[in-house]
Amino acid sequence: MMSHDEASELLAVAALHAVDAETLAAIEEHAATCPRCQSELDSYRVVAAALGNSVEELPEGLWTNISSQLWERKGESTVMPELLIGDSADVVAISSATRSSRRLRSTIGAVAFAAAASIVVLALSLSSAQSHVTNLEGALQSANRSVVQRALTTPGHQIVNLTSASNQQLAEFVMLPDGTGYLVKSNMPALTPNDTYQLWAIVKGSPVSVGVMGSTPGQVTFTMDSSPSPSELAVTVQSAGGSLTPAKTFVASGPVVAS
Amino acid sequence: MEDIREVSDAQLVTMIARYNEVALAETYRRHGGAVFGLARRVLNGAAEAEDVTQEIFLRLWNQPERFDATRGNLRSWLLTQSHARAVETIRSLTARRQREINDAHKAARGAYDMQHEAWDVVLAEDVKKALGELPPEERRAIELAYFEGYTYIKVAEILNEPEGTVKSRIRNGMRRMRATLVESGIEGADR
Repeated sequence: MMSHDEASELLAVAALHAVDAETLAAIEEHAATCPRCQSELDSYRVVAAALGNSVEELPEGLWTNISSQLWERKGESTVMPELLIGDSADVVAISSATRSSRRLRSTIGAVAFAAAASIVVLALSLSSAQSHVTNLEGALQSANRSVVQRALTTPGHQIVNLTSASNQQLAEFVMLPDGTGYLVKSNMPALTPNDTYQLWAIVKGSPVSVGVMGSTPGQVTFTMDSSPSPSELAVTVQSAGGSLTPAKTFVASGPVVAS
Repeated sequence: MEDIREVSDAQLVTMIARYNEVALAETYRRHGGAVFGLARRVLNGAAEAEDVTQEIFLRLWNQPERFDATRGNLRSWLLTQSHARAVETIRSLTARRQREINDAHKAARGAYDMQHEAWDVVLAEDVKKALGELPPEERRAIELAYFEGYTYIKVAEILNEPEGTVKSRIRNGMRRMRATLVESGIEGADR
């Protein structure tokens, strides 16, 4: 390990990263055990940071790139879509589920995904026949062992009825204890292609984006962290592609309640 | 519902640890420009700076526990991360070549732009003043190390000075700037 004298002489250059990686690691190793050096190094780092404290306009699209990778893990295969929309144009791959260590999903999840995917295919024919509103009841009748049906009979499931300000029911979701959720039925009218419905979970009073649902939500499945659990789900209308922050007005919202 | 813009940086990091994407977006809104600006300054290239910025925010998302609020504020920490990554990048051979290409492009654009670009960005007046008031040999050594990404050994080579001299100049310069920043009341400089 680097001696105190050696390390203390190099603290200022270390704060500027003006040493090689090996030397920096040795300095940091010493500092971790020497409060005096750690404090000195921290204070130099504040100076260095202030020196570099300029602000530039952020490039367009950079946040989108970052945001799209939040739920991925380097070295792992890309997570399969966990929010599926019943429209071939917008089968959306947004996972609200996990990052890094929380990534692994159960076998049930994989089965659920496969089943949900089959529902999407079915939904395509339904939506083409019925145009605007897709009702999952039809799919449920046609699909034995429907994941949604199974979810509705899973112990501990919770139901969320999303109603508009005029008390009209626009959607119903079922959520399982593991954080998986499904759209049970939807009365959300079709939007123009320039807009999308976006689903939000209200966690500790703050909206957390669950994902975009497209302009004509049909079948939706999502996974989100089961802890802390959301108190409400809400839907907004956003520009296509979704938004980082919700529109001022929820078009529908409802509390998560045990069935 | 509490306005996310009213939430403190420390609270934002706590929210990020709870997988709150909106909190990360707000952190990016507050500090992304600075993270990107520093990386761009060191790397002389927007594309490489975007990569660094992306990496820093993904790292914050994946490892928020690495930020220790007792050792400095969030912006300082993010800038330290950004600078470390940018320096690492610039020291790689590929990046060095890219920098030369970028430098060539800038030279073609005009010497005035090159000379003034560093100061066109919004450095805090106190910091600018502190650096400007340093003896020229201290200032030059710090600039080469911090903004050009050279090790102090390489700076010594460039300036044709002994390594020990350069190390001392950087340390003395940093101490002077720290004293100025303490007088200005910049948080964390007075440790």
